[in-house]
Amino acid sequence: MEVSAIRSCSQATNLKTELGFKDSRFSFGKFNEKLFFRKPNSVSFQSPLRRGKSWLRITAQAAQSDPLPKSKSSTKSKTLNRVRLFAGLPLDVVSGGTVNQFRAISAGLKALKLLGLEGVELPIWWGVVEHESMGKYDWSGYLTIAEMVRKAGLKLHVTLCFHASSQPKIPLPEWVLDIGKTKSNIFFKDQAGKPYRGCLSLAVDELAVLNGKTPMQVYQDFCESFKSAFSAFIGSTIMGITMGLGPDGELRYPSHRGFAKSDTVPGAGEFQCYDKNMLHLLKQHAEACGKPKWGLGGPHDAPANSELPTANTFFKDHGGSWESPYGDFFLSWYSSQLIAHGDRLLSLASSVFSDSAVNIFGKVPLMHSWHGTRSHPSELTAGFYNTATRKGYEEVAEMFARNSCKIILPGMDQSDKYQLKESLSSPESLLAEIGTACNKHGVGISGQNSTIGAPDGLKQIKKNMLSENLNDSFIFQRIGAQFFAPEHFPLFIEFVRKLNQPELHSGNLPTKEGTTTATDSVHTRSNLSIHMQSA
Amino acid sequence: MAAVTIDSVLQNPTLLFRPKAKVMLKPPRSLDCSRNRKLPLSRGSCFCSFNPRRTIHVVRASSSETALIGNFDTSSSDDIFYKDIFPVKRIEKVEGKFFIRLDRSKDQHDWQLTVGCSLPGKWILHWGVSYLGDSGSEWDQPPKGMRPPGSIPIKDYAIETPLKKLSEGDIFHEVKIDFNPSSEIAAIHFVLKDEETGAWYQHRGMDFKVPLVDYLEDDGNTVGAKRGFGVWSGALQQFSNVLLKSEASHADSQNNSIESKDSKNKNRCLEGFYEEQSIVKEVSVGNLVSVAVRKSPETGKVIVCLETDIPGDVVVHWGVCRDDAKIWEIPSAPYPPETTVFKNKALRTLLQPKATGNRSGALFTLDEEHFGFLFVLKLDDNTWLKFKENDFYVPLLGTSSVPGQYGQSDITTEEISSKSYTDGIINEIRNLVSGLSSEKSQKTKTKEVQESILQEIEQLAAEAYSIFRSSITTVPEEVVSETETTKPAVKISSGTGTGFEILCQGFNWESHKSGRWYMELKEKASEISSLGFTVIWLPPPTESVSPEGYMPKDLYNLNSRYGTIAELKELVKSLHEVGMKVLGDVVLNHRCAHFKNQNGVWNIFGGRLNWDDRAVVADDPHFQGRGNKSSGDNFHAAPNIDHSQEFVRKDLKEWLGWLREEIGYDGWRLDFVRGFWGGYVKDYLEASEPYFAVGEYWDSLSYTYGEMDHNQDSHRQRIVDWINATNGTAGAFDVTTKGILHSALERCEYWRLSDKKGKPPGVVGWWPSRAVTFIENHDTGSTQGHWRFPGGKEMQGYAYILTHPGTPAVFYDHIFSHHRSEIANLISVRNRNGIHCRSLVKIVKAERDVYAAIIDEKVAMKIGPGYYEPPSGSQRWSLALEGRDYKVWETS
Repeated sequence: MEVSAIRSCSQATNLKTELGFKDSRFSFGKFNEKLFFRKPNSVSFQSPLRRGKSWLRITAQAAQSDPLPKSKSSTKSKTLNRVRLFAGLPLDVVSGGTVNQFRAISAGLKALKLLGLEGVELPIWWGVVEHESMGKYDWSGYLTIAEMVRKAGLKLHVTLCFHASSQPKIPLPEWVLDIGKTKSNIFFKDQAGKPYRGCLSLAVDELAVLNGKTPMQVYQDFCESFKSAFSAFIGSTIMGITMGLGPDGELRYPSHRGFAKSDTVPGAGEFQCYDKNMLHLLKQHAEACGKPKWGLGGPHDAPANSELPTANTFFKDHGGSWESPYGDFFLSWYSSQLIAHGDRLLSLASSVFSDSAVNIFGKVPLMHSWHGTRSHPSELTAGFYNTATRKGYEEVAEMFARNSCKIILPGMDQSDKYQLKESLSSPESLLAEIGTACNKHGVGISGQNSTIGAPDGLKQIKKNMLSENLNDSFIFQRIGAQFFAPEHFPLFIEFVRKLNQPELHSGNLPTKEGTTTATDSVHTRSNLSIHMQSA
Repeated sequence: MAAVTIDSVLQNPTLLFRPKAKVMLKPPRSLDCSRNRKLPLSRGSCFCSFNPRRTIHVVRASSSETALIGNFDTSSSDDIFYKDIFPVKRIEKVEGKFFIRLDRSKDQHDWQLTVGCSLPGKWILHWGVSYLGDSGSEWDQPPKGMRPPGSIPIKDYAIETPLKKLSEGDIFHEVKIDFNPSSEIAAIHFVLKDEETGAWYQHRGMDFKVPLVDYLEDDGNTVGAKRGFGVWSGALQQFSNVLLKSEASHADSQNNSIESKDSKNKNRCLEGFYEEQSIVKEVSVGNLVSVAVRKSPETGKVIVCLETDIPGDVVVHWGVCRDDAKIWEIPSAPYPPETTVFKNKALRTLLQPKATGNRSGALFTLDEEHFGFLFVLKLDDNTWLKFKENDFYVPLLGTSSVPGQYGQSDITTEEISSKSYTDGIINEIRNLVSGLSSEKSQKTKTKEVQESILQEIEQLAAEAYSIFRSSITTVPEEVVSETETTKPAVKISSGTGTGFEILCQGFNWESHKSGRWYMELKEKASEISSLGFTVIWLPPPTESVSPEGYMPKDLYNLNSRYGTIAELKELVKSLHEVGMKVLGDVVLNHRCAHFKNQNGVWNIFGGRLNWDDRAVVADDPHFQGRGNKSSGDNFHAAPNIDHSQEFVRKDLKEWLGWLREEIGYDGWRLDFVRGFWGGYVKDYLEASEPYFAVGEYWDSLSYTYGEMDHNQDSHRQRIVDWINATNGTAGAFDVTTKGILHSALERCEYWRLSDKKGKPPGVVGWWPSRAVTFIENHDTGSTQGHWRFPGGKEMQGYAYILTHPGTPAVFYDHIFSHHRSEIANLISVRNRNGIHCRSLVKIVKAERDVYAAIIDEKVAMKIGPGYYEPPSGSQRWSLALEGRDYKVWETS
């Protein structure tokens, strides 16, 4: 991607006129322009220089193996296809080293290719690959998928999942769970001391709790092994890697346990700082701040997991503890721990893959319930110190920018209109807030839809894709029976066609212009991509 | 899709000829007399098809591929950089004789009919008899004693007996039938069939008929050897010759039975006779055309070696091109011997016979700057061998690895061989796509491609869906809540309607008799709707030569035997009021003329669409059409409309639009769509934008010695091909499923209901959303009974189609019969469980006496006398319906 930005820059004049021509008719031509100018400031310069050649070769390939867009109305149409669309493969596409529903996947890939999608997203589970014992990796099933994807002429976006899935059930590696049986403090705990077994606590990142290794070392070994196993694909088929950062792969605390249901008002969530190691860190921090008493535990007046924010006084709109000096002390520490954790993992990934032509992504949750209150309880418990008075996502975006990583934002299908009134939720304004922060720091945004789905979701996604909330790609979550069902798939086709609709008109452009822009178009496309996921 | 194979057509330069198997007319409404109506006819023209097998771009020394390549005049093959061999299939005509002899057998008591044929082949005599007193023209089974050994009964009306050589040295294959002249037999009827090619040989378009009655003393001659060929015989005479494959050696005029000249002999003894006819058989001959390109190391020139084993004079019509545009140019001399310049555009070289074998070939020496070598082969004055209706193209630049169509087709064939059916379609589309993009396509074409890609996507998605569905064991909680919150809009397409349609055929073969059918049906509208039907199919509404409406004349005159136009409108209105969609039965294949032309042939139309003979296809000599050749099979009782004519299509589109507007029809049932190309149907449907459309593509299933083959893939493939040609804008009646149900139920062979992949064996197993399943209609059942569903098993048939995917159609006669409440119950189970045209069916049992399936994991069903109960696992099943040899359960 980075290279493309540079190249676009040098060809900006040429491209600008082209886009300008379209501007008069299509609203988002303007956006593209902006993107090109913004890009070079934001993305590190080291990579283009190093990767230049291979990247160019790769884009050419990408352009070649692309039947549908090609067929539509020659190459020029691609210029407007700004956001690359991906679809997520089923979460359990590989289990026990074999590919499940091989034929369905293969038919599905063909369908997606014909539909003109850029590629698919593949979740790779720690609990599948390193299932048996530490350091013993089985990539075979995933390699089969990568090969299928390559053959289908699609791109692959890999998500490295260091977490567990509840539905379908994909737990953490057995040996990790075994360790957890005796040392439950490797997991996050809530106030009641109940451990969360969906991922390791960020407090143990640098502690040698896994057979003498730290989780960070184990993650690094995993990434290195992945890199060597997939070396034939990285940079050609695999163009993006999402680093798992926490529960559901997201950068957050597991503050909301249990299923999110669309028909019940969600609770405020609960602070997760009660495992031994977190409490220890808190204590140290409090002592360093000269307030040792504040380090004895989490806020005493915060509601429990499923309780409404109003059940206690911490999140009160006016005069809640969150606005007190203690509140500020605790929330600053709590959120900085999360950001530090994200920083560790993303810089790990960036360094492991620094010599590969791939983009690194990290996923940030869209904790949109209660966004309408002043304290934003859901965001606070999840680890984002973002309130009516404090712009908390700046630090997050800055951390991503520092590591040259792009951000994945889920929930792009959620619109304010369909939220339960009682939850004072506003996915749209939260998305805009995060988007602003990212844009400010030049962090590319890739979108996803939510697992639970939303009414008029596709419409909302489309709206987001045309806005600044989204500028890299969109990963639609997720293919499977639901996705291909007669009540959904035709709508999806319609959705994709509508996205591409302006292309049909671009057939009127003079051929010559079309051919000159053909090469640029690839770059344009590469700046934006969409991933369909619901993990 | 079968269409993936690359067909090339040896075509007459003036008339484009489509390589389609011609199959004779279907049973219903055809004016043929006998019961064995489905007699496919071989075609007279010859065509070639070939599949480029594989291309070897860089060939290392030894290729054991074929001996042919070894014969190239190359000292070493190291510098060959391009080489390919095309198997070519030509059809050659072989002439022979066959004879019919009637004489006394050796014991001088009985008589013997002998039929013999001199052509090689697997000849079968397909025969039957008629008895004294039979009024109709149908055949009957001959008495057992008359059947020669090795005979196989076909249904209840015919026998098939193979012809055998009496000894190795014999030229003739023969069959002898002994009979007693004093029996009740009035005549022996037969046709000759070649099992190898599937071709049927008839006599002047009819059965051969050997009348015996005139000669029987005590019977008088009341029946006589009259032309007993039904009411239509007058009209028949006009077109019967078209079907002729064998020419009688004598000029027999109006009589289609073979008689001895002296028929007045009222003697106990029959008069013997011997008659010989010439017979032409088309034999497919495989040939090879091989091309190799090498570079001469000495001169630096490019040498193209072309060789073939096609016998006779073969002329290569060739040129070179500079780039991908493939514009023919004449290269500079020297040329091979026997080369002439053709109109300054191309060169013609006669291939020279080779010393070895009966091959011919030529060497072309070219300068190396040429991009490609283009050629077509000319076999005789009007037979050209082309590549996919394009020129053969051979890349000359060693660097360009796979340029042009050549390369694409190569990829296609290779992929087909290893992959499944769906892959084929993709490849086809890719070909189409790349083919189009290379020629800087027009927007319209692009749109077509898009449509076909969408079609393809939908199909792949359906496949993926069905597999994903089948592997879901438990439905996770949150998925349920998702389906509740998102209310998917139903997408309506003309191929499927909403996908939840249930069709009612609203008439039978007798419905015209009262003269007020529209009014009678109107009274039943709410009743039909309350049974759960969503779509009703009305009879053909136009003025028609036959009272049932299938011989339309003036398309804009909608006063028919079913009622007036006003009554029709009223009916449609009431049907709409009760929430049903209405399909009009439109006959687009043929149309009866109003006037004769100067030769006295009926081919001039009147009324608002007063077309002349340009609207009639050219390949049916009886109507002397001046249009193009038919794009499908001909229906021989009326002039077949030439849909390739712009004005015809324009008029028909306008007509369909008028029917939509004026009458309020929501969609179409398309009659006899075998008669013209599916692409025209697509055109009509896109213009008239129906809510639902279904085509009648009916041809016969595959039988081997009277037993239906288990594998009917080629049959359903033909139907799927048609649907595909319409781009999925129309569904088609699932004739395959009906046929298989017949065998399964009639013979207690329920194993037939699963194909080798464990899917339903009909169209519904391949393309469920476009399959309109049915067990009976006005042709197969009703008072015609051309192909009646096994009696007493109708409810098993409905238990199958009403629980399975596809769009089920229920026949009027069954609705208003004692089956009514059972059918209504099945429909309500279907609707209650939301079974739709793409529902997933999991076959759990397909054994001798029982078939069971679970549909969408919501409905379980079994048919057949055998035992089946759904598993008592995570789902709890409760019995919803039970009837004779069928049960249906649903999850509780």
